[in-house]
Amino acid sequence: MIHAEALDAMEFSELSQRFNVQGVPQTVINSGGGVVVGAYPEAQMLAEIKRALKN
Amino acid sequence: MEKILNEQVVGQLKQAFADLVHPVQILFFGSKENCDYCDETRQLLSEISAVDERINLSAHDLNDDAALAAQYKVDKAPAIVVASKNGEQIIDLGVQFSGIPAGHEFGTLINDIILASQRDSGLGAATREFLKSLTQPLLLQVFVTPT
Repeated sequence: MIHAEALDAMEFSELSQRFNVQGVPQTVINSGGGVVVGAYPEAQMLAEIKRALKN
Repeated sequence: MEKILNEQVVGQLKQAFADLVHPVQILFFGSKENCDYCDETRQLLSEISAVDERINLSAHDLNDDAALAAQYKVDKAPAIVVASKNGEQIIDLGVQFSGIPAGHEFGTLINDIILASQRDSGLGAATREFLKSLTQPLLLQVFVTPT
């Protein structure tokens, strides 16, 4: 149900451009349903995931 | 090919892998076309898996083993899947790296291997409860730079 992928923003630059990655880490939730720029603490990341799933 | 990991790093890995509990399966996916870092990534994984017998490595090709790649939702090369192993059974944890895990990301990979071996995400109770209740797939793609 959950797939987590860490990917090299330079190596896969097409995908980085598609999601407008300008700083790392950047987390893209469900291919653009949500975006988190920077390293978030667990609770805030969870809140962002919940928000993205409601969209 | 010359070794990627020097003796000092191998020594540190031995210490870190003292925390391993259960066997881990690492699946490497490479490609014969347009893959600058495939050989290096595969060699790096081979050197890591040689440090501890609980770390198993299998190598696959994105095109030749398309069904397996699809099963693990892998669509890039090089890609690394960190899975749990129970006897002969491989348990997909949904954990994947795309690209060579160099620089900071080397530490991330080692940490993932240890977490997979301990079969514990380390997440808090509230997060676990929510994730367990998911009724739709969740894809988290974390863009990083290896430096």
